Order: sequence, then structure tokens, then C-alpha cells
Amino acid sequence: MVKYFIYILILFSFFIPSVEARVYLDINAPTFVQIPIVLPKWKSVEKTPPALTAKLYEVLVNDLTLSGFFKVIDHSLLPFYLKEKEGIPSMLSIQEWASSGGEILLAGEATLDGDGLNLRLKFHLVDLVEQKHLTGKQFDGQLQNFRNMVHRIADETILHLTGEKGIHNTKIAYVIRQGESREISVADFDGANVRPITQNQSINLSPIWTPDGQKIAFTSYLKRNPDLYLIDLNGRNLQRFSSHPGLNVSPSWSPDGKQIALMMGMEGKSDIYLLDANGGNPRRLTGGHGNESTPRWSPDGQQIVFSSDRSGSPQIYIMSWDGSNVRRLTYEGNYNTSPSWSPKWDRIAFCGRAGGQFHIFTIGADGSGLKKLTPNGSNNEGPCWSPDGRYIAFSSTRAGGSRIFIMNANGFNQRPLTTSKGGESSPAWSKRFE
Amino acid sequence: MKRKSYIVSVIFILCIGLILMGCPKKTVVKDEPSAKAEAAKIEAERVAKEKEREVKEKEAKEREAARLKEEQAKREFERSLVAKRTPGIEGEVFESSLLKPIHFDFDKYDIRPGDVEILKANSALLKKFHNVKIQIEGHCDERGTNEYNLALGERRSNSTKKYLISLGITADRVSTISYGEEKPMDPGHNEEAWAKNRRAHFLITAK
Repeated sequence: MVKYFIYILILFSFFIPSVEARVYLDINAPTFVQIPIVLPKWKSVEKTPPALTAKLYEVLVNDLTLSGFFKVIDHSLLPFYLKEKEGIPSMLSIQEWASSGGEILLAGEATLDGDGLNLRLKFHLVDLVEQKHLTGKQFDGQLQNFRNMVHRIADETILHLTGEKGIHNTKIAYVIRQGESREISVADFDGANVRPITQNQSINLSPIWTPDGQKIAFTSYLKRNPDLYLIDLNGRNLQRFSSHPGLNVSPSWSPDGKQIALMMGMEGKSDIYLLDANGGNPRRLTGGHGNESTPRWSPDGQQIVFSSDRSGSPQIYIMSWDGSNVRRLTYEGNYNTSPSWSPKWDRIAFCGRAGGQFHIFTIGADGSGLKKLTPNGSNNEGPCWSPDGRYIAFSSTRAGGSRIFIMNANGFNQRPLTTSKGGESSPAWSKRFE
Repeated sequence: MKRKSYIVSVIFILCIGLILMGCPKKTVVKDEPSAKAEAAKIEAERVAKEKEREVKEKEAKEREAARLKEEQAKREFERSLVAKRTPGIEGEVFESSLLKPIHFDFDKYDIRPGDVEILKANSALLKKFHNVKIQIEGHCDERGTNEYNLALGERRSNSTKKYLISLGITADRVSTISYGEEKPMDPGHNEEAWAKNRRAHFLITAK
């Protein structure tokens, strides 16, 4: 993949880490109030083009809005930057912002160097209520990577206010319909940088990121069988990985990366198999008459959640990774498929049928706390979690054709990933790229 | 008078005698009836042969007719074949209008009673053309998740294959593939389109 830029993170030498115990936002609560955050316009230092600074500002506002944690107050009338005293914003300056209605202030400036290649971004995060400087950092990087640099600021902001870094430097792979063919595409978390991964006109389905985030596994009909392939993010190095007759679909890597759970159709129906990391040595985990699909490992590597129609209708089940101790998780409704285990909590998202439509639900791994997250009126399918477990990506028909949507894990802040017209399905979330 | 009647009686008896004498005369050509039988036998044989020839001719005609019918069926079958190449999917296959698809209920993969006749006709065609190998594609409608539908399509193609095997088709002539919801027959988003899309479709991979 494209070599990631290396940026240097410099903690201001004068910055004394805040041992702030205040919980700004308990994002794991079923409901939370968004933090009002003020974003004054950014300062263009020296000959930095104001249009560039405006673009950086726009990306940051969008990031914070998409996170779902903030009510962004875009306050262009107030002075655009903080007066600094010995490198930190002066409290006097902070007082000027108290009337803005915000509880948190995020201010920044951009400096483009003389040759126009290297960019320096500097930001300060201030608690306006307690009148306290929370953090200030500076990032250096190449201009071409300006989006990633801004995402880094958004991630740091979220780290400070919620205790865990944001996921703005992640990507989402998905399937896009192009006439009769299905191709794999990848977009950034904010829907920018949409680019095709496959362009082979075949039917390419069910993308999943490899654990190192460097490749995408997907199923393709190139050889007139649904075989599993790996491909680099630049669309090169296509490699046939599992090609047993019948299905080779929807892989899930164990957290230690040593085993792969996979849907395979070697017995005339779909079963869950375990493969070695090299794709060999398939061992069947599920027996009986059920048709099994979509295996997903638990974050502790001990269990696998999957869908099976062994009871007569598709339901969600959990088994130990060796195929023993199978237990049924869902009892409501007669069509529950496509489970996905939260990477952080013992919670499982799945697609269920309710009122004749398909919706995204979450349920505890102990079967408690079933919750419907998507609103009535459209079909919603194929949920997957962000690496921090705070978001769920899924496909929805609410805006016409099927499109990828993202929401907070509590169902809040549902929004489309891209501006496409439709034909999108099967999202898969990458790890963080840093 | 008595004497006269005696004479008449004698004459009568003589006449009878003469008549009776005439009979041995007939036995002189004693072989005549067996010759006739011989002739009849020959005739019968001739008729039998004729009949046999006629039967054979009829049989030959029937064979010829059957052959012509078979040839016609073969021509008809060949005429029904449409070569199909799909971009991004390896190989050339054929579709035949004589191999009709069957359909399924939502989230089901059992053969509907109304589709049994179609499978019987398809198996009859396979029995007629021994070199033909087929691939059964299992398809679903767009509802439900893509991966689950791939599994469901796998079931549909395999339950169709099992039914053909129960009708006497050998397993090595039938392969299966699931396309899930990815190759709809009808791109619509309504029950009419969905009903068409939940199908097992027959492709010819060798003819």
C-alpha cells in the first residue's frame, strides 16, 4: 500500500499533562448529550494560502460532527486565534470565548513551508467552563497527507474528552454494484478518497481487512466458483487464497492471526470451517443439517459467533472456537443473520427482520439487552464495528438505493458514508492507520 | 309284378353299385388334397414372410422416424442452446430454453410441488443427451444479508441437484454454484421481481 507519511509529533515542552479526572462524555452510556465545542476559524501563518486553511478547518469540523460526540459551534465572528503567553493560550484570551456557548474550545493554525510541500498544524484544546488548557500539539507532515493530519487532531481531541482515541484515520471497504459486476471499493471514515480496489468486472463480494490492514480478503467468481482472494490496497498482487468447490466466503481472522474462520460449501451446504493462516488445512466446525454463515471471532479469541438455520429459521449462535459449546443467542424474530462481535465489549450487532424490514440490532453476548438501532421505513443490513467499538457501519436503503451508513453504537448520528447514488453493500472497517 | 319290382330293385342296386364303383375311381387321385395343403403352406409362408417383411419395414420406418425425431430433438436442443460468456467469469457455457428454471419461496430451499414436472422434463432431457453436463445456479432475492443469501443459494442449488439424482441423473453430470442475491433475473424491488429471482437456473457446461 501507499507508504504512509511519517509525521512528527512534538509535545510542547512547556505542556504539563493535565491529570484531569473530569469525564466529559461517557460515550458508553445508552444516551449522551453532545459536547458543545467551539471552533474558531484557523489562522494562516505567514504565506499559507487561506483557502488551504479553510479546507483544513472544514475537514476538522466534519470529523468532529461525524464523531457524533460534539455539537460544533462554528464561530467565525470571534477572534480567530488565541493569544498565547509563553506558548500556551492566555487565560485572559480564554475568557473572551466564555460567551460562545461552548464548553470546549479547539483552536488551530496552519503553516505551509516555503516550497509548499510540508505542512505544520498546531492546535490547542481548552476547557472553557473550568478555564483550563487541556492539551496543545503540533504535527508536521506532507501537504498531500493534510486530511490524515487533521484526522489526527480530531482523534487527539476525542482521546482527551472520552479517554480513547477517535477512528478518523480508518477506512471502510465495501462492495459497489457496477452494472452486472460487483467491485470492491475503499473510502476513508469521512467518505473521502473513494477508490476502487478491484476492477475485474467479475462478481467480487464480502470484503474483510487482513489483520495487518495491508490487504483485503474478498470472494470473487473469476474462476466460476466463489473463491477467496487477497489483494493489496493498491489493487495489485491478486492471490487466490481458498478455492474449494462451493463457497469460500466471509473470512474472520482470529485475534492472534493464526487461524481463519470461513464459510465453506464442501458438504453441499454452508458450514463454518477453520483454516490455517496460510489458507490450508480446512477443519469443519459445524455439523448437522444447519446452513451456517458469517463467522466472527470474539475479541478474546475464545468464541465464534455465527448465523445458522438449524432451528428452522436463521438465528445467531455462539460456539467455542473449536466448535464445542454451541448456544443460541437470539430468540426474537425468524430471520437473524450477519453477526459481528464488538471489538471492545461483549456486544454483538446483527441484521434482524422486524415488521417485514431488515434492521440492525445489538444484543449482549449473554443474550440480554436486545436493541433495535435503525429506524423503520427501510432495509438495513450487514453491520460491522469500528476498531474502537464506538461505531457501526451498515448498508441501508433509506435514501433510495442501498448505501453504506455509519452510526454511533447506540444508534445515534446515522449518516451516509459517501455521496454515491447507491448499489453499495457489505461494509468492512479497517484497523487504525497511524 | 313282383319280379318286375325285383328287376327294378336290382337295377337300383346296380345303379347304387355303379355309383359306389365310381368312388374308388376318385381315390385314384388320392394325392390331390396334400398337394393343395402344400400350396397353402407355401402361400402361408409367403404371407408370413410378407408380413414379417412388412413388420420389419414398419419397424425400420419406426426406427427411422424415431431417429429422425431424435435428430430433430437434437437439432431442436442444439437450436435452443445459447452460448454465454460473462465478463469476469471464466469459461463459455450454454443456456437452453428447454431446461426450465424452478423457483422457491422466501428463505426456503425445498422443491415446490408445482416444479416437480419441470425437474422431470429436465432430467428426461439429460437422459436423452448423455454427454450433457449441467451446472445448477442457486439464486436469491435481494432481501436479507448477502452472505446469508450465498449460503441459501448453495442450499437451493444442492436441493435441486439431489432431486435430479433421485430421478436417475448421475451426480458427476451436475455441478452447483451459488450466486446469492448477486445475479437477479429482474432488477425490480417488489414481490413480483423477488419471486422471479428466487430460482435455480440451469446452465450447460458440456454438450
